Amino acid sequence: MTKGRRAAICGAVLAAALTLGSPLFAAKSKPKPLPLGPAPYAQPAATGTYHPLPRVDTVIRNAIILDGAGNRLTGDVLMRDGRIVAVGPNLQKSEGAVEVDGSGRWVTPGLIDIHTHYGTYLLPQTTAESDSSDIVEQGDFNAGDTWIENAIRANDPAFSRALAGGVTTLQVLPGSGTMIAGRSVILKPVPAVLVDQMRFPGAGHGLKMACGSNSLGGRGPSSRQGQIAMLRRSFQETQHYIAEWDEYLRGDEDDEPRRDQRKDTLAAAMKGTIPIHLHCYRADDIATWISVLGEFGVKIAAVHHATEAYKIAPLLAEKGVCAAVWPDWWGFKREAEDGIPENAAFVDAAGGCAIMHSDIPVLGSLLNIEAAKAAAAGRRAGLAIPPERAIRWVTSNPAKAIGLADRVGTIAPGMNADVVLWSADPFSVYAHPDKVFIDGAVAYDRSKGSRPSDFELGRPQREGVK
Amino acid sequence: MKRVVILLALACGAPASAETIAVTGAKVWTGASTTPIEDATIVIVDGKVVSIDRRAAPAGARIVPAAGRVVTPALSAAATQIGLVEMLSAPDTDDRAVASGPLGAAFDVSRAIDPNGLTVQEARAQGVSRAMVFPGSAGSGAIAGRGALLHLSQGSSIVSKPRAALFANAGGSASESSGGSRGAVWTLLRNALDEARAYRARGASTAPRDQLLNHLDADALLPVLDRRIPLAIVANREADIRQAIELGRDEAIRIVIVGGAEAWRVAPALASARIPVVLDPLDELPVSFDAIGARRDNAVILARAGVTISFSVSGQGIYLSYDVGPAIREGAGIAVANGLPYADALKAITASPGAIWGEVPGAGTLAAGNAADLVIWDGDPLEPSSAPAAVFIDGWEVSRTTRQTLLRDRYAPSAVRP
Repeated sequence: MTKGRRAAICGAVLAAALTLGSPLFAAKSKPKPLPLGPAPYAQPAATGTYHPLPRVDTVIRNAIILDGAGNRLTGDVLMRDGRIVAVGPNLQKSEGAVEVDGSGRWVTPGLIDIHTHYGTYLLPQTTAESDSSDIVEQGDFNAGDTWIENAIRANDPAFSRALAGGVTTLQVLPGSGTMIAGRSVILKPVPAVLVDQMRFPGAGHGLKMACGSNSLGGRGPSSRQGQIAMLRRSFQETQHYIAEWDEYLRGDEDDEPRRDQRKDTLAAAMKGTIPIHLHCYRADDIATWISVLGEFGVKIAAVHHATEAYKIAPLLAEKGVCAAVWPDWWGFKREAEDGIPENAAFVDAAGGCAIMHSDIPVLGSLLNIEAAKAAAAGRRAGLAIPPERAIRWVTSNPAKAIGLADRVGTIAPGMNADVVLWSADPFSVYAHPDKVFIDGAVAYDRSKGSRPSDFELGRPQREGVK
Repeated sequence: MKRVVILLALACGAPASAETIAVTGAKVWTGASTTPIEDATIVIVDGKVVSIDRRAAPAGARIVPAAGRVVTPALSAAATQIGLVEMLSAPDTDDRAVASGPLGAAFDVSRAIDPNGLTVQEARAQGVSRAMVFPGSAGSGAIAGRGALLHLSQGSSIVSKPRAALFANAGGSASESSGGSRGAVWTLLRNALDEARAYRARGASTAPRDQLLNHLDADALLPVLDRRIPLAIVANREADIRQAIELGRDEAIRIVIVGGAEAWRVAPALASARIPVVLDPLDELPVSFDAIGARRDNAVILARAGVTISFSVSGQGIYLSYDVGPAIREGAGIAVANGLPYADALKAITASPGAIWGEVPGAGTLAAGNAADLVIWDGDPLEPSSAPAAVFIDGWEVSRTTRQTLLRDRYAPSAVRP
């Protein structure tokens, strides 16, 4: 991460110098390409055009707070100018701040869904969409040059349901039909026409990769061993690519290397600027990928679905690989035959990073219940998983895996004011998010209901639906 | 007493394991009442409930202490596909539907049920004792085949009533196999019923017939015409549900709606036609053009109008076969969170499926004389975080050891060597 950022920053400065002062350099006796940059693979993701919704400073009083960092306390949360400024008992409210009574209610950080296909698995689905969707490009085993943000339709109704379920940050990933599946994007579920207006400012891309059966065949390798060989080859080629650019940018080589956007993506992953999200179920597959990527010094941020994560929980903990899982999916395909409900709890117990993900839209508004089920299974297996611990599975742990732990996922001074006020214990099926704050603004208010998507607008079937 | 019971049991040919069991101190929801019985003792003899009251346990009974715990009838899954599939992704392990070949109405899922399937093992351990297992969409035509009622008692004979309902699919995804329009579905369905009538009138004649149905399919439709089994129509769009109501009225047959995402828009008509609805309480997204009106309080609106409801939770197909028990409990909990009275939600996953599908009387309720199918819960049964502490089916205490719990024990943090 540090390495990559430095490259990006140096690159920007040098590029500016070049533009302004090129005549100066041109006057030099021995014209030589200068340290140029940034390298194409080090260019940051777009910042986007997101603007916070209208907001007023708010203090939530006297609620039970699960702060996402592992603590539970009763007290107030003060939000000012889109940031959390204080957490604790009897906070002094700032001038003009709105007070919300949180008595008997619970407060958590905004939930983070690390695995969605919103806007690409577009609802309603029709046979046309399910036959040829935008979820993943399958024209080649390497779709590293595809960016899922180019396919997202912001008016997918699933965004608003996720928000009403307490989700304030989500990742849209390419699908798993291709081994190197492309770049993800991090969004906020706010009303928008263009995906750029939902983009989490400053959040980088992720790289979706897929092991095993989903990505076998087609234009790619037809076997697991073939996939691994292809993986190694791809990273070796990327190593050369990086070296070529290094040489050129140092000025040791005159000819600009030919740009390859697939390699750009893998290079960024190698440099650690793009976290890797690996779709992978089986323990053996996961361990193999960790090992092979390790040969290149590359780390996996999170394995997704990972129904066998519990079998290698110590390895995942040691390597710092998160496991983003369902609480109870098993058996629906060969790779998932050993799924058990204690999966997340066992990962957690090994000191690892457990995460709940939705993957399908219907679960996107039920992440709290998904966590409730997984934690309860762990408790029945004898593990101590109080609410303040389980809430991390849908807040700070996914924040870490998407590289935004310094902005979201915990309630602490300086963090983005992404906060959910729940009507009751969020791990109860009877609890509702009463208010969902994004950057200090009320993005969802249960008493007012959800804003219909453009699609839903004016549909007679939805008359009277809040 | 115990000895007498055993002797009686042997004499009557009941399982030799028959004994007197007393579940004591429980808060019992019977599935029939709107309030629970507190501090109750349930006495079970020979697999049947003998009494539920506050009297002390009979002498010699095996005591199952349940003080402070909730006891409910074992769960009943109103529409599931357990026992029909091991892995959705492997066609050779998937017997849910007939995609090609001559069978329509004649397809009989009871002939494909695998009592050793893990979906059955898991459902049982999760407190499910009864289930309607239904066929998936047919490759040709709207009629999918006949569903079977299961009673997950000990052993391999779990099909309690084969061919208990005929299933058909209406709506957008089914119209393709009927020629391309949902309108064709209804014409073909009506024609099928007409042909079945004509087929019966002609008797066993071998003369050439002007009909689309083969004799197997025609035979399969006769119990529907006789109102002995319902025609269950998987439909979500309001217009299709209205077509189903009309069909039931015109043909004088029993109809059950499965799916019913927009059923709330037809609630009074469904109530007056006495058509039950098996719905998915998790539905709230317009997942298809047939479900644009999906909403989380669908169950509440239907129940208020007097429609008999039950739940089937799809989870994009996953929960239809896997985790059926927890899924319908979660669905019931979500229905309560959106306004359905607690007792109604509980009833929807215990007593109502039996009423909808024509189960044996008393199925899904706890009362003297009924099968001793019950669950002792470790918390509120409608909380997804709760689980069964003990499951009894026909008075047999179901083993809660499953392949999943064995994997759990093998890889528990304490069991893993460094």
